[in-house]
Amino acid sequence: MSELRGERTSRNAVALAAAIAELGIDCALEARGGLALLLPTPEGVAALQVDESRRAVLALAKEHGFTHVAIELPSERRRSSTSADAPLLRG
Amino acid sequence: MALDLDAVSEADLAAKTSALAAWLHANAPVAIGYSGGVDSAYLAVAARQTLGADRALAIIGRSASYPAEQWATARDVAQRFDVKVLELDTGELDDPRYAANPSNRCYYCKTELWSRLVPVAYSCGFPTVVDGTNADDLSDYRPGAQAAGEHRVASPLAELGFTKLHIRHASRALGIPTWQQPSSPCLSSRLPYGTEVTRGRLRQIELAEAALRKLGIAGDLRVRFHEELARVELAPTELSAWLDPERMAVLTEAVSQAGFTRVALDLRGFRSGSLNVLHGVSIA
Repeated sequence: MSELRGERTSRNAVALAAAIAELGIDCALEARGGLALLLPTPEGVAALQVDESRRAVLALAKEHGFTHVAIELPSERRRSSTSADAPLLRG
Repeated sequence: MALDLDAVSEADLAAKTSALAAWLHANAPVAIGYSGGVDSAYLAVAARQTLGADRALAIIGRSASYPAEQWATARDVAQRFDVKVLELDTGELDDPRYAANPSNRCYYCKTELWSRLVPVAYSCGFPTVVDGTNADDLSDYRPGAQAAGEHRVASPLAELGFTKLHIRHASRALGIPTWQQPSSPCLSSRLPYGTEVTRGRLRQIELAEAALRKLGIAGDLRVRFHEELARVELAPTELSAWLDPERMAVLTEAVSQAGFTRVALDLRGFRSGSLNVLHGVSIA
């Protein structure tokens, strides 16, 4: 399952989130301009340790108009500070 | 860092270093805008060895955008190779045109640098001022080059066709430790254009990068500033290792100590001018 949050732009974040989910990578996606920020589950992180998976995600991101892809690293501080974030949207 | 030994022929390198020596003799005495980066370190040492101690002067411009670690490298190289050094402070952050961080930010930085450095060089008896711009730089987006031209600063390495690879090979031949040092642009390059450059933000970036170096991360490394989020770019060879959950936690903690509440790892890894691409200044 993928989730989407952040701005909706001409870049197709919804389609990217869906395409990443189809690869079997479990993560939420936050669009920040040309940056697609992935918030993976532990299973998603494990999937992204594989070079081929990362290359596939990068290719998909480029296809959907993004110039950069990053994964947010788990952080206690973030978990306690993101309660006021924009609501998560379903991709 | 491994150098591609076949990419630069010995004859080519010998011809270029001879041409540089001739250029330096023809334009001596020479003052070098010196940061301790790969290019200016080579140029300073080459000038010192070609012209002698009294006819080459390395001048460092210090400011908040200049990492302390690089300053230490600059001092170390100068000491090892007996290069005379002069330091002066620059105040580019006090210029609101620079602090606003437009896409030609480097123009204002270099204008500040050269407008302070060049008169000092002249007054010390150095009529030729040079910088470490190389031939590769000529194809990149470098608004700072305009400021160099306006202040009659010459770029002999670029002029003579030295690429970064030539400079690394030549540096290694001279025993200059910077031969394998990653490229090191100023800290402001970590902020997207349009994001205000402040001393606090530069300090935050510098602390985060220093913390990552302490973890043993070698090669190219950038902490890109996205407000509360730090996006870390590592050399592709380092990336896989840091996707291990335990190591991710260590990396997160190190960057968080610098004041970022969110930390992200770029999946493509380091690329020069990354924020130019993100903000549409040039195409990767």
